[in-house]
Amino acid sequence: MRGADLLVSYLKEEGVTTIFGYPGGAIMPVYDALYESGLKHVLCRHEQGAAFAAVGYARASGEVGVCLATSGPGATNLITGLADAYMDSIPIVAITGQVPSAVIGTDAFQEMDVLGLSLACTKHSFMVTDKDELANVLKQAFSIAKSGRPGPVLVDIPKDIQLAEVEAALITSSKDSIDDFDKNTLVNAKALLSKAKKPMVYAGGGVGMANAETQLQDFVDATGIPSVTTLKGIGSIPNSKPYALGMLGMHGTKTANLCVQECDLLIVVGARFDDRVTGRLETFAADARVLHLDIDPAEINKLRTADVSLCGDLQTILPALNDVKLSIAEWQEHCSALKQENLWDYNAPYRSIYAPKLLSRLSEKLSDTSVVTCDVGQHQMWVAQHMNFTSPKNHLSSAGLGTMGFGLPTALGARYARPPEDTVVVVSGDGSFMMNVQELGTIKREQLNVKIVLIDNQRLGMVRQWQQLFFEERYSETILTDNPDFVTLASAFNIEARTITEQDEVETALDEMINSKGAYLLHVRINEADNVWPLVPPGASNADMMEKV
Amino acid sequence: MSLPQQQLQIDVNKSPEVLERILRVVRHRGFKVELLNWKDETSQLLLTVSSERSINLLTSQLIKLFDVTNVIELNDVAQSKSA
Ligand SMILES: Cc1ncc(C[n+]2csc(CCOP(=O)(O)OP(=O)(O)O)c2C)c(N)n1
Repeated sequence: MRGADLLVSYLKEEGVTTIFGYPGGAIMPVYDALYESGLKHVLCRHEQGAAFAAVGYARASGEVGVCLATSGPGATNLITGLADAYMDSIPIVAITGQVPSAVIGTDAFQEMDVLGLSLACTKHSFMVTDKDELANVLKQAFSIAKSGRPGPVLVDIPKDIQLAEVEAALITSSKDSIDDFDKNTLVNAKALLSKAKKPMVYAGGGVGMANAETQLQDFVDATGIPSVTTLKGIGSIPNSKPYALGMLGMHGTKTANLCVQECDLLIVVGARFDDRVTGRLETFAADARVLHLDIDPAEINKLRTADVSLCGDLQTILPALNDVKLSIAEWQEHCSALKQENLWDYNAPYRSIYAPKLLSRLSEKLSDTSVVTCDVGQHQMWVAQHMNFTSPKNHLSSAGLGTMGFGLPTALGARYARPPEDTVVVVSGDGSFMMNVQELGTIKREQLNVKIVLIDNQRLGMVRQWQQLFFEERYSETILTDNPDFVTLASAFNIEARTITEQDEVETALDEMINSKGAYLLHVRINEADNVWPLVPPGASNADMMEKV
Repeated sequence: MSLPQQQLQIDVNKSPEVLERILRVVRHRGFKVELLNWKDETSQLLLTVSSERSINLLTSQLIKLFDVTNVIELNDVAQSKSA
């Protein structure tokens, strides 16, 4: 068989059912091998869309996502998706065609040093230089993507290797076993815990990546320790738990931020002290000791020194800490009182639509198995604040890289990752939506049941908010009153669509969207002055939140 | 004023891009290369770097690289990678 055939056979052997990609000269042998191969290939309309679809697939399923592109421009278009996956530790494998080995380094047509480009935005990358190594490289790529702290891996395959005769020797990937955490340190961790009067769990994306939601919830149930989550940690502890205080950080809940500032022990679970979480680092939970639990030793002491740390699998670390006895009733009461005091206020006595209220209603109407993806900006923060999730696999948000254009293609990927009965909703903004709008073509082609809620403030809202607050209302290049007619745009792709502008339309419109048979775009006009609150201003401590002005 | 220097011994799996990979991490994480000695036959890189940052911030990132098998802070304890 040809190298290209080996690749396709390997993917099938590996259990891959769907791949996302875009053809071109240097990857044509692979597209030839795909033809009538039985492996589902989804033609996205931009390689960035394909990379994000792979990310969406991976995040909504927990499996490795796969995308495919040609050399040169095809490969460079993948880069943003790889970078997003890298920042959020998402396991994807990107396969790119490369010009034939003989002309690499001659500035051949559509030649680009993709291996060089990949160094900063992948966990690892390969260029296949020996046809007999192809099978082994593929196995390693999948193993690396999903082992330890997951991440994206790129495999660049020159065209001559795709065409070369190879022997079919297929060995599928495996997850490396995770080193046991240090049992001697466990004693110290327990000692630290049992001394705490005001402990707080700060849960990040690592919990979901380790599939340790159950262990984390058992831990907080057993110990009664209050908890906050990061943007990527959302869903790992449902908001309905009595001492779950919601998201912390720049747009976190007031309760989460105030309680974290007061705590005397911060139990960091699969989180990394991102600046959007900590605000001014020196002031973040300044009086707290730190117990850091993570799979990646490089995160320990990177930004905040840990008093005790345990490195390993959260699935085994958390249960080892369950039996600590604590007397923290006073602290629990304090946290839950603050939580009650600071519930979201959905009172909006005006006609125009209040997006937080709409999203909260949408959340109530969706089943627990629905997936919501979003783009970046104010609407993203409103999703994080006002929608409730019971699994991190149900809330797909570009956290580390904050990439506009993430929402629509990741929803495509999620659509393939989940059974038809799980609703998939994209919440987008009028700015972000246009960044990968071409993927409406993929929805049309594949007749995908994806619901789109387009929150339209005719602004690059989050940037506008900062201009209002920190740049003297100088609204430089953030006004989008010349947006296209989104309903007409949707109809060009055979997508049912409707615009709403007033609050009393919300209920029926949401129902109509949820009950519609196929794809649907709900275009929601909102007031451009609506801002995201609370807000920790840049450089401030999380204790100094600005509230509605 | 000169910055604190540290010497590292980095053992690698041979691959054409491994040096680039390592040097990119060194620069990106805020370290300057003062001296570099690469022995292809032993797949070993001796590197003297300087920075205001603590050397652990670099070694913990280098050891994560797939092609790096071992990082030793010379005159210090080994940070070896379990296979
Ligand atoms: C690719 C990319 N470019 C630029 C930005 C900077 N940025 C962050 S939020 C934002 C505005 C987003 O506007 P919109 O999608 O309409 O959402 P809104 O904030 O109005 O809800 C911009 C430009 C970004 N995050 N990603």
